[in-house]
Amino acid sequence: MSFEIFISQFLGGLSVAMLLFLVASGLTLIFGVAKVFNFAHGSFYMLGAYFSYQAIALFDNFWIGAVAAALGAGLVGIALEVCFIRRIAGREEEGAFQILLTYAFILILDDVVKFIWGPAYKTITKPESLAGSLNFGTVTIPTYNLFIIFLGLVIVISAWYVLSRTRMGKIIQAASTDSQMVGVLGVNVSLVMSLVFGVATAMGGLAGAMAAPLRTVAPGTGVEVIIDSLIVVVIGGLGNFWGALFAALLIGEVNAFGILWMPQWASLLSFAVMIVVLIFKPKGLFSQEKGRKKI
Amino acid sequence: MKRKTVSMLSVLLVCFTSTVSFSAETIKIGALYPMSGRGGLYGQDSEAAIKIAVGEVNAKGLPGGKKLEVIVTDDQSKPALAVTLAKRYITEDKVKFLYGVVSSGAALAVTEVSKEYKTIFVGTDHAATDLTANAFQKYYFRVSNNTFQSMAAGAMYMQETKMGGKIAYIGPDYAYGRDQIAELKYSLGKLGVKYEMVGEFWPKLYEPDYTSYITAIIKAKPDVLVSGFWGGDTVAFIKQAKAYGLFNKMKYFHPDGGGNYEVFSTLGAECPEGLIMSARHHNNWPETKENKDFVAKFKKATGRYPSYAAEGAYAGILVIAEAIRKVGNADDTEALIKAMEGMKLHQPEDPAGFTSYIDPKTHQMVQAQAIGVTVKNDKFPPAKYMLGKFKVYPADKIMATQEYIDILIKTKKK
Amino acid sequence: MNKKLDTLVPWLAYFLIFGGMIFVGGEHSIHIAAQIIILGLFALSFNLLFGTTGLLSFGQAIFYGLGAYITGMLAKSFGGDYFVWALLLAPLAAIFLSVLLGALSLRLSDVYFTMLTLAFAQLVWGITVKWSSFTGGDDGIQAIPKPDLLAGGLNYYIFSFIVVTVCIYLLWRLDRSAFGAVLKGIRQNPLRISFTGMSVFRHQLLAYVISSCFTAIAGGLYAGIDRSIHPDMFVWTMSGSIILMTILGGMRSFFGPLIGVAVFVLLEDVVGRSTQYWSFVIGAIMITVVLLFPKGIVGISRNFAGIFAKKGGQVDNP
Repeated sequence: MSFEIFISQFLGGLSVAMLLFLVASGLTLIFGVAKVFNFAHGSFYMLGAYFSYQAIALFDNFWIGAVAAALGAGLVGIALEVCFIRRIAGREEEGAFQILLTYAFILILDDVVKFIWGPAYKTITKPESLAGSLNFGTVTIPTYNLFIIFLGLVIVISAWYVLSRTRMGKIIQAASTDSQMVGVLGVNVSLVMSLVFGVATAMGGLAGAMAAPLRTVAPGTGVEVIIDSLIVVVIGGLGNFWGALFAALLIGEVNAFGILWMPQWASLLSFAVMIVVLIFKPKGLFSQEKGRKKI
Repeated sequence: MKRKTVSMLSVLLVCFTSTVSFSAETIKIGALYPMSGRGGLYGQDSEAAIKIAVGEVNAKGLPGGKKLEVIVTDDQSKPALAVTLAKRYITEDKVKFLYGVVSSGAALAVTEVSKEYKTIFVGTDHAATDLTANAFQKYYFRVSNNTFQSMAAGAMYMQETKMGGKIAYIGPDYAYGRDQIAELKYSLGKLGVKYEMVGEFWPKLYEPDYTSYITAIIKAKPDVLVSGFWGGDTVAFIKQAKAYGLFNKMKYFHPDGGGNYEVFSTLGAECPEGLIMSARHHNNWPETKENKDFVAKFKKATGRYPSYAAEGAYAGILVIAEAIRKVGNADDTEALIKAMEGMKLHQPEDPAGFTSYIDPKTHQMVQAQAIGVTVKNDKFPPAKYMLGKFKVYPADKIMATQEYIDILIKTKKK
Repeated sequence: MNKKLDTLVPWLAYFLIFGGMIFVGGEHSIHIAAQIIILGLFALSFNLLFGTTGLLSFGQAIFYGLGAYITGMLAKSFGGDYFVWALLLAPLAAIFLSVLLGALSLRLSDVYFTMLTLAFAQLVWGITVKWSSFTGGDDGIQAIPKPDLLAGGLNYYIFSFIVVTVCIYLLWRLDRSAFGAVLKGIRQNPLRISFTGMSVFRHQLLAYVISSCFTAIAGGLYAGIDRSIHPDMFVWTMSGSIILMTILGGMRSFFGPLIGVAVFVLLEDVVGRSTQYWSFVIGAIMITVVLLFPKGIVGISRNFAGIFAKKGGQVDNP
């Protein structure tokens, strides 16, 4: 394999990885911090794409679309958290009911989207400024893909900064370890959790809006991204943004080169990677704790 | 305390056993389509087209003053659910015909039900050649064309336009994707077209991100990229590949589902020029009165232009009505089959001077196929590009040969 | 209330409804009932892992599909007379596979266990779809032959009813045995169980193997209802819907999962018939159950009984 092919495949894998990470980042926040198994994360991704489509149809501006997607998905997320998820908090077998509840959200949101926007596919066009592509010799990379890579880096750095360098982040981390204790200290824990849920779903919505110019906006597209995102979150270690980023890179690049070497089996590689990682690092790649059960 | 459990369960029992009675004045057709998710558009368009056809048939009248009634249920493209629904249609709703089905996997399961219950099944959308070949049974008919017809026409197009040389293929990783390239290779071989495969790529169905496939295809340097996607996957692939300049580096050839209208309506101005594609029905070809009328009626009823799925769903109802008129009733299944075998029916998609007919041997509708090239055309908004410069392939030249059917029987043993 | 009556009533209701179907059910009702008891067996054996032992496997469809494919492919190649023999082989194959997968995945805890089981199932699903020369690919296998005695919906239903009833009875006995008590102990406090000198891992593995075994039988039986099988039976949504039905019905009650399956299948039949927005309706019903009945549908009948509330919701037996 020549160096050029390597670079071209590597850059392709990088942009796949960053989109994977964008979708998964919100999930790792909910999963790791709020301890909510949000099966419907993909539905917020889908919702974001539709909100963005609607806003662009009204205002004809891609960036207003992105803001609308994040705000809209975040608000829907907070509403669902306050109306439903909070009400089962602390219940015995809370986790199981979260699965049931968030799965119900998938069913409902799919139909709501179909009811409002119809079954036909929708499309979002890239903004003019990002529509071109850059050429380095024979290696081409679209500007929009570079923008996605940049956006992924911005998100991982700001998430790291907020969670580990600000007071708010420390409260969130503390609340995820021992919410009762934080509550005793006078922090409104349920407000914090609603906020975290809102931010996470807003990230899902933003990812949907950012991915839409490269994909199809259609009902049912939400469930298609959820399994890949789960893989990234789990390999990276729950709640670990750098871990999720690394996992997304791993999956993206393994796929990119797998397509060259074994195109027949490439679509199964993500699962194979997850199996190998979990067998050797049972709590994901970046966990401090010992993953294996002490028996 | 337990009494409540028992009473609740007895309510379930009542639900089980209750049957609904229907008037004998209608002839029922049980249709199965996906109404939600990715394939939902095809189901919705089919339902709209069925309504138009049923309205026309009932206005014209059927023997004995009967009326057609079509029940449409969401099969979610799941084989197990489709079977359950098909059995319910037959045993409970007493339908005379099973109808529709988009997913080939579901259709293969439903055709078994049709055989078991001796109920005619008119397929309008699924394209697996198997159904009229190795999995054929006499109660099955298909009014839309199968992938073999598309790919045979594709091979003739390639021969005619001297496309060949290095070929790469990308298609969804399931039977529909695999059948297309196998059938194209077979037809190219028959025509003696020389080619060399330089890569086959198999992303999963509904793959969101094709970037790594695109870079790999560009590196394989094919002269022609043959594509086997459908629907949203075509849209996503084209959008992503365009930014990489893929369409300037090779010819893009997509002879079964590339030219579906929903691809053009979604891509709008982003559609590249010069892609070579076809579909099972075109809104702008043939330019006959029948086709223009059909498209206009659909637009009037729904406010949008039809995807390819609508025409098949429309034509199937006309076939059924014609058979009932010939036989005089809908109760004599064997006579209906005889009436449908060899039936000639002018469809919206028939070019001037040609009339589709049902092949008596395989029960496959024999249709012409037109392959075109994307050109600017905004007569069907929101599409900005449509196919043009059509080349037409005669219906009898693109049917699956007995030799190919034998190969399928030998290798697939359904 | 009398304890003996307590255990008798659900069984009575089970026989009344699913046995009664044999005499009163129409063709469609029989078909639906067959689906309910077979998926019900799947859900009940899944609940041995989930509700009893506290292990959320997201990959039980692997054994369901395995059972279906072993039964279907063997019957297809050797003829309908071998259908029942093939059905007997299904659980044996499941034992081999589950010992292997269980040994690998039970080393992990919580969501990591869940995700590893998911990955295995998806891998097997992918191979089934890709290896089409052997498995028929995503088109599946149709026209699976059955012995003449089991042809026809009613005969096959009676056969399934007998097999399922025996399996449910075995699972029920297991649930109330000393072994079942250990499993419940593992769910509530694994540490305490290991203090008594018992191996948590070995008990979990055994539960995993038994559960998989019965799941394979359910899959094998399903191959005979429609006489067609598909890789869909392996895919994650299959495992997912069993999880949903189990929670919906009530995972702390032995018969809860069966009720969940019955309600789900009937809802799909009734709601799907009347509206294309079925998923909205079913979603709304699921939310209602979650919010109003913390113990699932079973809880509806128990809600007013107060007795269990005092026990803090630790209801393990029916």
